[in-house]
Amino acid sequence: MIDFARVQKELQECTKDIEASGIRVTPKSDSLSHLVGIIPGPIATPYEGGTFQIDITLPDGYPFEPPKMQFATKVWHPNISSQSGAICLDILKDQWSPALTLKTALLSVQALLSAPQPDDPQDAVVAQQYLRDYQTFAGTARYWTETFAKTSSLGVEEKVQKLVEMGFPEAQVRSSLEAVGWDENLALEKLCSG
Amino acid sequence: MFLFLHRHFFSLLRIPSQFFPTFTSLTFSTTLSMADYQMLDDVDADDIPHAFLCCVCLDLLHKPIVLSCGHVSCFWCVHKSMNGFRESHCPICRRPYYHFPTICEMLHQLIMKIYPAAYKKRESQILEEERKIGLFSPQFDSLTCGSQADIKVEHLEESANGQLNTITKNDKVVAELILEENSEVVRSTSVESLNSLQDPCAQKPQNQEKISVADVLCRVCTQLLFRPVVLNCGHAFCESCINSQVETLECEVCQFLQPKGFPNVCLELDQFLKEQFPEEYSLRRDSVQLELELAKSIKHDNPTSCSNEEGKKGTDLPRWGEVASKVHCAVGCDSCGMYPIIGDRYKCKDCLEEVGFDLCGDCYNTRSKRPGRFNQQHRPEHKFQLVRPQMFRNMRLGVVTEMLEEGSTTFIIANDEGSDSSDDIGAILEFSSDARESDEDDSDVDGRTQTNDNRTDQNYSQPT
Repeated sequence: MIDFARVQKELQECTKDIEASGIRVTPKSDSLSHLVGIIPGPIATPYEGGTFQIDITLPDGYPFEPPKMQFATKVWHPNISSQSGAICLDILKDQWSPALTLKTALLSVQALLSAPQPDDPQDAVVAQQYLRDYQTFAGTARYWTETFAKTSSLGVEEKVQKLVEMGFPEAQVRSSLEAVGWDENLALEKLCSG
Repeated sequence: MFLFLHRHFFSLLRIPSQFFPTFTSLTFSTTLSMADYQMLDDVDADDIPHAFLCCVCLDLLHKPIVLSCGHVSCFWCVHKSMNGFRESHCPICRRPYYHFPTICEMLHQLIMKIYPAAYKKRESQILEEERKIGLFSPQFDSLTCGSQADIKVEHLEESANGQLNTITKNDKVVAELILEENSEVVRSTSVESLNSLQDPCAQKPQNQEKISVADVLCRVCTQLLFRPVVLNCGHAFCESCINSQVETLECEVCQFLQPKGFPNVCLELDQFLKEQFPEEYSLRRDSVQLELELAKSIKHDNPTSCSNEEGKKGTDLPRWGEVASKVHCAVGCDSCGMYPIIGDRYKCKDCLEEVGFDLCGDCYNTRSKRPGRFNQQHRPEHKFQLVRPQMFRNMRLGVVTEMLEEGSTTFIIANDEGSDSSDDIGAILEFSSDARESDEDDSDVDGRTQTNDNRTDQNYSQPT
């Protein structure tokens, strides 16, 4: 059984220092077992300026079992599958500790973005490129960030426009979009239910 | 907490709350339990200092346990984060440990005094969960000193050891001293809890429970705990009051032997004491430093090498490869807390609780009289039996049961399909016999399907 009281506390804690960490965690639906984490790409890396979405699924044993995390945004990184978004990170596997939280785990994922470990790769192609030709790797990673991790910021305006055209006030549209992790369908649901 | 959440949420939305009367209830009705609503009229988690928050459940510590590394967590949080197959690791520092420590009653009493309302709520909440799973944490009487004394008396009655008797006398003197000091301290140096300085508690005078130095005394020096360490048995002492030179550490209160490794100072508690009783704390620090210097000057040639010793003892844990065959998976000793039990395991034949009552070889041989870890009603007259490690048998059994389960599910599926088609069974038979008559070439295939596989028959029947 997931300790929902703890998840609730974690979310509160996370919203408190959103300014400092830049890390957001929002529930995907009414249930707290599926969440979306959003991390900014670390500065001075090819991921700078990007906003990366991570799908979080909490197993029944949480917090005694690690949360399942997967990139929803496509990323070019040796330890993240370019196909599935699977993350190769020890604390999400055998090195998990119940004292870690979603926020600290996401911080670790963010740290992984700035410090790739090509010797323990998740995506062999990316890892090989990283080791053999770093310049091309950095170029590809930057291109992927531009293409996939920034569309959401472009798309945001489109989404806002779309919902405003449906007759909702813009401020409400923005805040509900923000609250649901920029999923326009969920935002619409929220706007309608209000 | 709930109110706070609303406020925050709406400030995030930057719209007045009356626009969305149903919005919040929709989003959070499923996520907030009754316990959260109950927290409404209680102290917010923010008001509880970090020292008293469990690192695992992020809530007020409930029946706190201090691990040998000095980190604190709730009884259930420690138990759930332990590994039933091999050594466990502290959730914070990952220091390995083998023994499930006993609850630190001193800390339990302290927290209960500072946050009576929050603690009571937490208690009832956890009791409800315990009822659901049918497994209970140790229950304390209102006067825990009583229960401790009981254990001690029982222990001493058993053994007619002269040495131990002198210790009782000492303990009695100590107890009297504590009592005297209690009354004095309460009168003179009682300090209001940190809590009382803050707004929410100003409205609730019942939270202004006072705690005094008497609540946080070392059982050896009967003074304020300075750099407290908590032994595996749950008793707290000053670091300087414990003899770090001895091979096996023994608790001065319950004479219980500490498992290998010298415990670390519980820094969270130390910090709390420093803030709560600044004057007494600095006095204690000065006197301890003086003592240390004196000790150093006396035996200059034999300096205390605490850190070295700690390192030495820390590495003295059993190596996994050597003991794997003697492990009783997911079974813990109810006396010393060894979990899983490595070596001999004695199981009580008379305890009726589902969780059972087990002792490791050492605790069985020393005739330990400590109560069970999960509130079992174990009696000293109960009989034990030696149990062999079941690791490999379990694994084999697991495979067999898995196979059985698979078999049974396919069997059920077959049955289901049989019953589904049982209505048309006559039609199927008719159909298949018809088919055989009309297509002589396919007779072999049809015959096989009829005898062996109902599903093919059903397939045939579907077109009709």
